[in-house]
Amino acid sequence: MTTDHDPRTRVVLSWLREEAHENAESVLLRALDEVDTTPQRRRSARTDTYAKLIAAAAAVLVVAVIGYQFLPGSGGVAGQPSIAPSPRPMLVASGTFRAKGAPVELDATGAGDSVTGTMTVGEATEGFTVDLECTLTAKDGRILIGGDTTESTMSWVTKGGFSAIVLKPGSPMHAVFGSESDAPSATSCLAFLEGIVDQPFTTDIGDGALEPITGTVQLGP
Amino acid sequence: MRGVDTELVKRAQHGDKDAFGLIATDLATRFLAVSRRILRDIDLAQDATQQALVSIWRELPQLRDPARFDAWSYRILVHACYAEGRRARTWSPNLRVLPTDEPAALGGVDTVIHRDELETAIRRLSVDHRTVLVLHHYADIPAERVAQILDVPVGTVHSRLHHAMRAMRAALDADERPAAKEAFR
Repeated sequence: MTTDHDPRTRVVLSWLREEAHENAESVLLRALDEVDTTPQRRRSARTDTYAKLIAAAAAVLVVAVIGYQFLPGSGGVAGQPSIAPSPRPMLVASGTFRAKGAPVELDATGAGDSVTGTMTVGEATEGFTVDLECTLTAKDGRILIGGDTTESTMSWVTKGGFSAIVLKPGSPMHAVFGSESDAPSATSCLAFLEGIVDQPFTTDIGDGALEPITGTVQLGP
Repeated sequence: MRGVDTELVKRAQHGDKDAFGLIATDLATRFLAVSRRILRDIDLAQDATQQALVSIWRELPQLRDPARFDAWSYRILVHACYAEGRRARTWSPNLRVLPTDEPAALGGVDTVIHRDELETAIRRLSVDHRTVLVLHHYADIPAERVAQILDVPVGTVHSRLHHAMRAMRAALDADERPAAKEAFR
């Protein structure tokens, strides 16, 4: 698979292709045991799910449009001419805390795909920094904040890719981080958040998923 | 990429567990080898392989074109690897070289000499870069197919391959400059 004649490449490929004699039998048996009790997901179920999602999205849109009509200054039926207030940055989340064992500094204001702020996770020798760009609130109240990774010394966080924090309000608040590899086909920040919002690591609590934070995070309205 | 019998895939899609057993038997060794090389940890690789096989069974009815089973199943494996890699994330330094249990006599003298440096270098790569390196150079999957598996442009695959190989080659260069390496400790 390579035409590179660099002798160093030969060494790398030789090492990568070394036989390691992995014994897959035990894995296979465990998998087949689990398959015995695992039902298959039929296509119709998925179609139903999509139909429900589309219906829910349509309902949200209708509510939003109707709600907008009644906003003061919107030009709708109840709108009154008024001087537009100067826009104030709306807090999404802010705080200094520890999540997943790492120190975190988070400051995010805005809404939707117009978020500004930064998130620093870990330290210079092992951590990453995110230029925050977007936020999404899940139906269950979880808050996802993501953006472009500007610095990273972590193997699982790619500089230049999307990264995010997921916050689950409560006492204690829970958090988990996501990175580009969790939704590799995402072409925008919001698409990245939508790609991870229903993944088990952002919905479940436990090892490899949401875990309690220490410290406090101030959340927006 | 070796193909799985399409007829077996169709039978398994309709719930035939015997057919799936044959598919899983064919996949397990390959998947374990690939996931171990991505995750650099046999326990994580076993878990990723098991999860991938179960997910394949569960999701098989969703596969519209059985002829695309191979790329589709590799995509599920890669997702399982990412999930296991995430589970293993810790904030302790992750650059340590674990003792290798691979046979020392394999791979030639050059490989034995440089094994530690290469292991350190590949652990420094992101999972994204490790994945393209393993799928292309170990599993012998063409870049275009890797792009389909990962759902990224083929240019991204080439870019990651270039970056990954450059980093791996640099590790060998670094090994040849012990004095300089020592100075940064």
